[in-house]
Amino acid sequence: MKWIPTCRETTELASRSMDERLPFADRMAMRLHLAICENCARFNRQLQDMRRLFRAETAADDDTPGLAPEARQRIESELQKKLGS
Amino acid sequence: MSTLDAHSWLADHGDYLFRVARRQLHSDELAEDAVQETLLAALSAQARYSGDASPRTWLTGILKHKIVDLIRRQMREVEIPRDAEGEEAVDLLFKQDGHWAEPLRPWGNPQAEAELGQLRRVLDECAGRLKPAMAQVFSLREVAGMETEEICKELDISPTNCWVLLHRARLFMRQCLELNGFSKAGTA
Repeated sequence: MKWIPTCRETTELASRSMDERLPFADRMAMRLHLAICENCARFNRQLQDMRRLFRAETAADDDTPGLAPEARQRIESELQKKLGS
Repeated sequence: MSTLDAHSWLADHGDYLFRVARRQLHSDELAEDAVQETLLAALSAQARYSGDASPRTWLTGILKHKIVDLIRRQMREVEIPRDAEGEEAVDLLFKQDGHWAEPLRPWGNPQAEAELGQLRRVLDECAGRLKPAMAQVFSLREVAGMETEEICKELDISPTNCWVLLHRARLFMRQCLELNGFSKAGTA
């Protein structure tokens, strides 16, 4: 990787930095690019936004449809089969 | 100390388990399978229940493994990291020299603006446009918050393939969210 990575390379680094701490050289290269590139800086913020939104959504969400009646019945009868055996 | 009553599992926790599974699998059918496999596995494993966790927590722990099992089964059919179509789709987002092909639009302040129902709908819709396994791995990481290392290990894919997969999923998800009304006049 060159001293300053391309946008495409920077998105790879930004994505990976969401999963683990980048090696020092990669971290510096990414920061250098983000400092001069509005699009990639935006991409990086939006990755963080997605995580924040989706994880918050999961915690709060409780009014989505539950099990459909047919599915419930099917599972119930599978359980009964096993309980009875 | 909690005790187990297998007869009430479905009534007490069925909807909850289904919703958790649905959010990661993005499919009613697969989520129903996950609930059924979880409860059947729980019946066999009752003796190992220690009573330290609530029944719901215990069942949810089993569910987590069943969800990963279902995704792993699907992944055998689609080898995403070596998938040329996915690579081509990434190529479209960038110019030859590695710059973005199109500027990214700002999102405003999504937390303030997004209604929960709206968010759920858009996530589901965008997940539906990705390859199933890609959307599911994205959700294991970004919705369920599972560690990447654990995801790779459980799905039996190399860390490099895992990063490729997540990188593509994030690129496509971001783009899809933008196309579905996430971009608003704002500064983010």
